[in-house]
Amino acid sequence: MSADALNTETPAEPIDRPSMEVDIACAGFGPAMGGFLTTLTRAWSAHPEDPAFESKVAPGMPLQVLCYERADDLAAGVSGVVTRAQSIRASFPDLNPAEIPMAAEVKQERVLYLLDPIGASRRSLTLRVADAALRTAGPLLGLLDHAFELPWTPAFLHKHGGLVMSIGQFNQWVGSQVLAGGLVQIWPGTPVSAPIFSETNGKHDPAAEAVLGLRLADQGVDRSGAPADGFMAGMDVRAQLTIVGDGPVGAVGQALDARLGLPPGHARREWALGMKMVIELPEDISNPDALNKDALAKDAVIRNASGNPSPLQPGTVWHTFGYPEPEIFGFLYVHPDRLVSVGIFVPSWMGDPSRTAYRYLQHYIQHPALWRYLKDGTLRSWGAKSLEESGKRGEPFLAGNGFARIGEGSGSTNMLTGSGVDEAWATGTQLAEAVVELLRAGKPFDRKNLADTYEARRRASWVERGALEAQNARNGFHGGIVKGMIGMALAGLTGGRLSLGAHIPPAPKQIHLESSRLKIKNGTVLALADGRPLHDALLTACGWPEIPFDGRLLVSHQDALLMGGKVQAMPGFADHVVFRDIQLCISCTEMTCVAMCSGQALTQGADGMISFEREKCVHCGACLWNCALSPDGEHSNIEFSAGAGGLHSAEN
Amino acid sequence: MANAVHIVVCAGIVPDPLQTLEPITGPNGPGLKNEMVLPAVLDPWAASALYEAASLAAKNPGSKVWLVSLGPKAKLQQVMMTVAQKVHFDLVPIDGPIGGFPDAHSTAAALAGAINAIPGLDKAKLLLFGGWESATRGAGVTLQLTGELLSITDQFQGVDQIDLRDDGSFEVLERVEGGKHQVSVCAGTPAVLGWATGNLAEPRNNPQVGMVNMRTIMPALQKAKPATLAANGLRYVSVGLPKQQRTTRVVKDLTPDQIAAELVEWIGAE
Amino acid sequence: MENLLVLTHVDETGSALTKASLEAVTAGRELAARLGASLTIGIVAADAAAAAGVLASTGARLLAVSGEAFAQPRYTSDAAACEALCRAAAATIVLAPGSSRFSRVGAGVAHRLGGFIDTHITALGGTEAVEATRWFYRQRVEAVLSRDARPWFLLLDAGTHAAFAGEPAAVAVEQVSVELPPLRTTVTGIHAPKQDAQTIRPNAKLLLVAGAGWTKKQADGKIHAEEAGDLILGFLRAAGASLGSSKSLVDQRGEDQPVLPFLTHLNQIGQTGATPRHAMGLSTCCHGEEPHVVGWRFIADRRAISLDPNCGWTRGKADVVYIADAFQVMAKVNALLGAGAGK
Repeated sequence: MSADALNTETPAEPIDRPSMEVDIACAGFGPAMGGFLTTLTRAWSAHPEDPAFESKVAPGMPLQVLCYERADDLAAGVSGVVTRAQSIRASFPDLNPAEIPMAAEVKQERVLYLLDPIGASRRSLTLRVADAALRTAGPLLGLLDHAFELPWTPAFLHKHGGLVMSIGQFNQWVGSQVLAGGLVQIWPGTPVSAPIFSETNGKHDPAAEAVLGLRLADQGVDRSGAPADGFMAGMDVRAQLTIVGDGPVGAVGQALDARLGLPPGHARREWALGMKMVIELPEDISNPDALNKDALAKDAVIRNASGNPSPLQPGTVWHTFGYPEPEIFGFLYVHPDRLVSVGIFVPSWMGDPSRTAYRYLQHYIQHPALWRYLKDGTLRSWGAKSLEESGKRGEPFLAGNGFARIGEGSGSTNMLTGSGVDEAWATGTQLAEAVVELLRAGKPFDRKNLADTYEARRRASWVERGALEAQNARNGFHGGIVKGMIGMALAGLTGGRLSLGAHIPPAPKQIHLESSRLKIKNGTVLALADGRPLHDALLTACGWPEIPFDGRLLVSHQDALLMGGKVQAMPGFADHVVFRDIQLCISCTEMTCVAMCSGQALTQGADGMISFEREKCVHCGACLWNCALSPDGEHSNIEFSAGAGGLHSAEN
Repeated sequence: MANAVHIVVCAGIVPDPLQTLEPITGPNGPGLKNEMVLPAVLDPWAASALYEAASLAAKNPGSKVWLVSLGPKAKLQQVMMTVAQKVHFDLVPIDGPIGGFPDAHSTAAALAGAINAIPGLDKAKLLLFGGWESATRGAGVTLQLTGELLSITDQFQGVDQIDLRDDGSFEVLERVEGGKHQVSVCAGTPAVLGWATGNLAEPRNNPQVGMVNMRTIMPALQKAKPATLAANGLRYVSVGLPKQQRTTRVVKDLTPDQIAAELVEWIGAE
Repeated sequence: MENLLVLTHVDETGSALTKASLEAVTAGRELAARLGASLTIGIVAADAAAAAGVLASTGARLLAVSGEAFAQPRYTSDAAACEALCRAAAATIVLAPGSSRFSRVGAGVAHRLGGFIDTHITALGGTEAVEATRWFYRQRVEAVLSRDARPWFLLLDAGTHAAFAGEPAAVAVEQVSVELPPLRTTVTGIHAPKQDAQTIRPNAKLLLVAGAGWTKKQADGKIHAEEAGDLILGFLRAAGASLGSSKSLVDQRGEDQPVLPFLTHLNQIGQTGATPRHAMGLSTCCHGEEPHVVGWRFIADRRAISLDPNCGWTRGKADVVYIADAFQVMAKVNALLGAGAGK
């Protein structure tokens, strides 16, 4: 087939596009792809002589398996996680966490309800009454540092036996092992722009669609994508099977959804932005004699309320809710060597368009319950990522002719247990087992065969059971935080049998347009007058106190981009954030995309126009669901495609 | 042009320049905290050398490029995942310590040993390339020492350009003081060229190049010979971050006119 | 007892010692005095007589390698010359300027003598043993090191010692003969920078650091690259300043976006560029860029113009930060300096 017949929407292109043939082409390298490639590599290395593993495109050679990752380094992940790690341990039965930097076994879990010590958070009357009651009964309930610890951790939140990890380091570790296996090549710094679809003669029949491989992003282009100095057309990597694991905001997954639609009744409407810092805790040298030397060396040693040294052990996990806003959940995970991951989730159902993440995170870490430990710490790293929170309800077509989807982008995240890495890994291993089965049977990778093998495995597994239990667990949040917590508890404690119903509007409709126009206006005025970022000005306009910058942990957002995560972008790629209808943007007063932009890559100009700076983008994807003025009622006015660059931190 | 040359590029790996570095002293001497965890890149000036080598080889059919790199095998593998998509080369890995604190003389000996063992390398056609300084040790001596060990006595440092002529001679531009370039003509190979930035842009990632390279890189990495580097009596008395912290006066309330007046007075040029 | 040799060379005039060589002489005299070591000074020049006269008052033994072959800074001849001088002086410690000429050959000479070398030395301390200070990781980590093995070569960074200045006098110089191998390299000339030769001035009092902010969108949402270029060049001319730039600004060359055409990689300071020494530095539009950290490590008096009052990159590193728009301030500065805001 000629290159110009690949996409029926575009006219014949004059570009001489190179092409190569492989057996399996993979988009995105995260936990799901790690699981897939690990399992596939193992199967091959156990029986390298098995003719099933012979390449179809390079006879005599083993399967040609190539994986392309957008980020500049496999370690440039943006997530500190706690995971039950059951599927990861199944793949690595002798797993020793000490082999993976920043990994620790989960030792202690706490759930804290955080009261607002400042009075700036937007709490409903119900919540204020409850808070007042809690404060009154505080001494009896053990209220400490404006935090109330739940007497027990609900079973569905338990991660006992699991791991606290840096996904960046975990990816690096897995990637090294996969590469050393010799079957697979993984190429970071290589964005995939789109899947290559077969020609359908204009008919839109999802069942007949076929994916023929992956098209890599053009290089040597200007910001608009037009060929410039050193132009190199993105290569077409043609494959019998294309594995899509590029996450919830990945270009390939998005293109598949746009082309095939989602299964009936499914929609991707629930999102959250996870933003977190990796903080190095201070060594307490005020009373070293009182401390266990080993603890001093390995653990986070702090002083507790009574002034005694109290180590924050590696493997400690905190889940928090209630602050900085009632809708914002938070976490603290303790890694070895006095490192902690601390972060928050800002959900789409928060409603208020004056939402943001970085400034909220700064207030979050200053909550007395956390600040007791974090004070005098040093920001080592920082990052953000969109989480696809629709779970089962956002599940796309898992497989089709020539392709299969795994990981978060395939709707595997369990929003009841707040778990995604383990599920993602499991979907990867399930697909690998299916692929090996089909290879051995000599069957093609068509829709039916992949459904019979991969999809069937997934449906029969704990991943699917969990997804079903979780699918309605968060419905209540669309009716408020209290209703949401009740709904979650109901679903959690009954294994999903009971839950609250809800109508979940598209993400743009979840933004309450009238709720805070005045605050936004004030914030905008402040932002323009002061030269400060909108998100920062907004929270000041909402009554939050200014951040007392210390140049080490409390630093400006701009500084965090440079000292915490280090953002950069290779020249020669097109802007991956494009405004679909500029007039809509000009008419927008909410500018939620600007306020929620994790990297300050989106800014508003004095002329009201929003501009994008590729060099500051951390590829969190928040602009995909933080747009109040949707052109179609469902999707953002911003197109978010494949781009190179982003965070350069390995500690995330 | 038909001057087939054999180019050996010596290039180490260094922490991604954007990372925060913190020195620590361990039982084996100084090092960087989390050095194995920090993302690594090919040494920037040595990377210029590699791209120049590839460009020169492409212009002179029959030429060949080897990349000799000393570092922990796992880190080399990580860096190769990015570098190998850029240009064609054969990797000669040496499994050794990371960082800038080992003695350069030992590093040079390990590099020379590895180069001497490259099968098919014609030393009469050899151009030994590298960065004029590394981003770790930054001494600018390893390449010279390697050259001496290989008995190459035409050496150039701070090179920004090479023009290979039909008769086998070549012209070299070296950076010298005052933002100038010294122009030299050398009768021919062998020679040592320590590169500054050169004039080439970083090549685009080319998946086909990567695929071909990786077929030889992974087996080479698996066979990488370990090297221990002697200290040669080098002792570190202290290693630390610069302590100098200035008291910064932040001037917020002056108009551009007032600031300009203050600056002009400061410059003393009024 | 140590035998200390200072290696020196002449500048392009062929007769005067370079400033860096004279700085090394100062360092050598101080070190020899401290160690009670003998001091020898070696000169590489086509004709060493004039250079030697300047060193008469050092009282040091003077050796020279002379001849037309040594007029050219070239590896083969310079290495042979330095090797011969070291052997003649029976040197145990060799100090030399870290000039391009001696940086090219220092390591090779050390190797030929079975010795060791350390470069970019910024200070020489120690009483019993010599302790040398130098930077690692592009001026981000500072170390003090020492070696027992001899001979030990130490190449000094320029500007770390005062240049020796003594009364010239007639003095005896011992000529050291060198048998040169066949010379395969000829120095054919010097190329000055191709574009705007006035922008790099190593001897300028002030370094202007231009950051990537100059070519970013300004408050009106537009890019003003041409105005930025005029302001920068206008200031360089008016103040006689040298120009340094961040990598991100230099890298904008060749991209499809406004660029400052007079910038080259030679202007680059910081991680992958130079770390020049100047008495004063003024940083503009550099928020968060490495010049604040590394590129101006050796700038004595530092000021910055930044829009962000909370910029952690200037905090603790600059002496003064003006919170203002650099476009406005520099236009006024240029006007005051009599340059006009543009060309």
